[in-house]
Amino acid sequence: MSDPVLSLRDASLSLMGNAGRVDILHAISLDVAPGETLGLVGPSGSGKSSLLMVMGGLEQASGGTVKALGQDLTAMSEDGLARFRRDNMGVVFQSFHLIPTMTALENVATPLELAGARDAFARARAELDAVGLGGRADHYPSQMSGGEQQRVALARASAPRPRILLADEPTGNLDETNGEAIIRLLFDLRDRHGATLIMVTHAAELARRCDRVIRLRDGRIVDDAARQAAE
Amino acid sequence: MSLRMAFRLARRELRGGLRGFRIFLACLALGVAAIAAVGTVRAAIEAGLAREGAALLGGDAEVEFTYRFARAEELAFLASIATTISETVDFRSMVVVGEGAEADRALTQVRAVDSAYPLVGAVTLDPAMPLDQALAGDGTLPGGVLERVLADRLGLVPGDTFRLGEQTFVMAAVLARYPDNAAGGFGLGPRSIVLTADLAGSGLIAEGTLFNTNYRLDLPPGADLQALADAAEAQFRDAGLRWRDARRGAGGTAIFVDRLGAFLVLIGLSGLAVGGVGVSAAVRAYLAGKTEVIATLKTLGATRRIIFLTYFLQIGALTLLGIALGLLLGAGLPLAFAPLIEARLPIPATFGLYPGPLAEAALYGLLAALIFTLWPLARTEEIKAATLFRDAFAAGRSFPSWPWVGVTALLIAALIGAAIWFSGTAMLTLWTAGGIAAALLLLVLAAAAARWLARRARIAARGRPTWRLALGAIGARGGETTSVVLSLGLGLAVLAAVGQIDGNLRRTIAGELPAIAPSYFFVDIQPDQIAGFNARLADDPQVSRVESAPMLRGIITRINDIPARDFADGHWVVQGDRGVTYSDSRPDNTTLTAGEWWPADYAGDPLMSFSAEEAAEIGLSLGDRVTVNILGRDITATVSSFREVNFESAGIGFVMSINPAALAGAPHSWIATVYSEPEAEAAILRDLATAYPNITAIRIRDAIAQVSEVIEGIAAATRYGAAATLLTGFLVLIGAAAAGERARTYEAAVLKTLGASRGRILASFALRAALLGTAAGSVALAAGILGGWAVSTFVMETGYDVVWPSAIGIILGGTLATLLAGLAFALRPLAAKPARVLRARE
Repeated sequence: MSDPVLSLRDASLSLMGNAGRVDILHAISLDVAPGETLGLVGPSGSGKSSLLMVMGGLEQASGGTVKALGQDLTAMSEDGLARFRRDNMGVVFQSFHLIPTMTALENVATPLELAGARDAFARARAELDAVGLGGRADHYPSQMSGGEQQRVALARASAPRPRILLADEPTGNLDETNGEAIIRLLFDLRDRHGATLIMVTHAAELARRCDRVIRLRDGRIVDDAARQAAE
Repeated sequence: MSLRMAFRLARRELRGGLRGFRIFLACLALGVAAIAAVGTVRAAIEAGLAREGAALLGGDAEVEFTYRFARAEELAFLASIATTISETVDFRSMVVVGEGAEADRALTQVRAVDSAYPLVGAVTLDPAMPLDQALAGDGTLPGGVLERVLADRLGLVPGDTFRLGEQTFVMAAVLARYPDNAAGGFGLGPRSIVLTADLAGSGLIAEGTLFNTNYRLDLPPGADLQALADAAEAQFRDAGLRWRDARRGAGGTAIFVDRLGAFLVLIGLSGLAVGGVGVSAAVRAYLAGKTEVIATLKTLGATRRIIFLTYFLQIGALTLLGIALGLLLGAGLPLAFAPLIEARLPIPATFGLYPGPLAEAALYGLLAALIFTLWPLARTEEIKAATLFRDAFAAGRSFPSWPWVGVTALLIAALIGAAIWFSGTAMLTLWTAGGIAAALLLLVLAAAAARWLARRARIAARGRPTWRLALGAIGARGGETTSVVLSLGLGLAVLAAVGQIDGNLRRTIAGELPAIAPSYFFVDIQPDQIAGFNARLADDPQVSRVESAPMLRGIITRINDIPARDFADGHWVVQGDRGVTYSDSRPDNTTLTAGEWWPADYAGDPLMSFSAEEAAEIGLSLGDRVTVNILGRDITATVSSFREVNFESAGIGFVMSINPAALAGAPHSWIATVYSEPEAEAAILRDLATAYPNITAIRIRDAIAQVSEVIEGIAAATRYGAAATLLTGFLVLIGAAAAGERARTYEAAVLKTLGASRGRILASFALRAALLGTAAGSVALAAGILGGWAVSTFVMETGYDVVWPSAIGIILGGTLATLLAGLAFALRPLAAKPARVLRARE
């Protein structure tokens, strides 16, 4: 059995807000196998997006350990985490988060440029072609529909050939047709590049397409479908 | 690699346009423009003075004597070094028109010239004619020319006659312009020019009367001015000779221009400080809007360094643009208005492009921009990728890490250092920097206090929603309070300080001084006239007091055998000639602070009583030997006492008094001060001037008015400088109001949904603005009063009272400005439809 791409042991997350300390995640332990598609589901406020952030090093766990590709994310600096994400992860957001002053091509090329790739723009153009937006390379996000923006975001996330793909409600701001198209592309990209896909979703149908579904409530895992399947 | 990547990202980010940076550019450009404009005008004047140095001086060099003409050996020396010499005599006198009771008189500064005058430049007369033709007269009477203000004052036109002393002249023309105008310094009467030879019978230029003789020299080309100055100094130092040459032709004027220019640049720096508040606010607002982009870039793998460099380069590019705009304005406006400025200046100016002042302004702009943008840029470090999922940024600290604080401190030190370097005056710069820093700190604390007070008062305002809303907005963290108080407060504080200082100074000079000052100062009273002079006044019931004293003029050349300028470190007492008196006994109203007065019949070695305050300032002690050159003769006297002398009463006060025997036989005149009722002044002047035509009367009220005019001019220049600061503050105020418009739109939408009328919402906005403006104005006034008190007490050494009209104007002005800005940006929020606003928010 190969080593897990992600391994959490008693990971917890507490944040200081205006109202005081808030405990978001409690002693989360799980492993994610290479190439696995993992769905994170649960009611609002259950901590599923926070868990995704901790897994991606976008948020540092307050306790426990988080290892990704054998490296301890909890021991890394902010810049270290940024470099790790640059080299190993792709993230797709619900709100796309394209940079408004960059064209579609430049948005996709940015992670490649940050990694120092000499052929950043050529590879970016290929990724845009793969999501069907080769003809919109020089358009700005404000000139695109929501679906098109999310496709650009997908291309951006997959352009560096990440080993881990994180998607936070990727269809949350899209209509059904566009959402379906995005999901198809997401899984297609996963299949092509063999990445491990971890996705936060409210949609039950989308969750069923995942190899494994983890249900969260009040910051704790209450159900782990893959475990149940194995048992 | 980081820099290359940052450059690429910055370039792409700049495509977002300059929206949000208009105030940034305006504040920076205005601050730089004000400093550049002041510096350009100063450089233009200095260039004009340097170019016209010889003309202003009246020659390549000038030698001056007080109270006498040059002696034979001195004339021989001058003739040996100069190709041409022109002798002029300067003194004050009365121009008299008419006879007897109908006679009219006015004070004039007479320049008696020879046929060689002017050596350099030309005199312009109206009607136009050569000067020698005008001074030749009409064949019967010698001619003279008077400045227009003097001719108008006496109702004279060309062809009319006037008297100087016992000599009648015909006015040939109006004196429109003369080349050595700026070198003479401050004068109490308008200028008149006559030939020296024509004054022979006037009784005006005699030994003992107050006059200065100037010998202007045309030197051979390539003459070594320094070597000649040294030779003159070495040969005639003890003769009271004073040398000046074209290297500093404008003398005191050049120093004045330099000092005033430096002071105005420092005022301009306060404008940059206010502009910095706007710059900082604009950058903070911009970066707050870029939180999502920054978090996205971090998600994609950008390090903090790349993020910082990206926005540093972006802000840097905009800074350079702002500075360029400021330099364009600062260099262009003086050039555009050059003809207007030249026409109004009494001294020459050569307008052009002067790189020095522009470089100075650019450096200040760059340093100020760095100081005010580094902290907001440093905060990009704290933006986490997780911000995309939640408001992680809001929980960050408000103070950057210590390395950034250190860098900022270094930049501030560099700015102050540069200001000291360029202004040439460390103390003034440090005081100004300290004042600006103290004002800013005071304003920040005041803003915090205003927010605290508003939060407390909000509770008491329950049941009054308009007040509660207004107070709530003022007390809110992250609201407009700090921006408004800072931006408007500093500009108002500078204006308030200027208003308080100017008001108190004018109150002292034009208000209090006339009450204690004499009505007249009479000079050039001959010794055989003083008895009759006193007799005329003794029986006049409207004359309350007459003081008189003998006067000679002398130059302190050495103290304890050390050159006086070295001993006294350039103190005013050793600059130029000073009045010297004598008295056999201690005058009645004189208080000795140390030592003893000489006996009435003392005839031993010369003894001197010195003014106590000035003695302390130059480090003089009892027993020191002071050498004074009077009429070319050195008199060395031992200091035997110190006495109190009050120079602030505009009465008679002498720095030095010597025992009579030491000055026996020295030609001299008397001066007198007369204290009378205002309605008696005309008759006194008429009687004394008729009886003694050689006497000059200086009406103190006129002198005070003239001094007040000069002070008003300086105050006006300072107010213009402060106005630039205020304008910048108003721009920042508008920026703050504009930045808050979105929040006000949302607030108005919610309030409308809850049932508030537009009138009530507008009243809340207006009340908020008015309260903020009043707070800013009040704090500014407090700072201004503090500054005014400090300057009046420690610098001017006068009393201090709050100048209420100026004070109330400041508060009202602050309130009005904030109200206008607030209302201007309240109209759109009020007009927005609630449903649309609230839907967009979701």
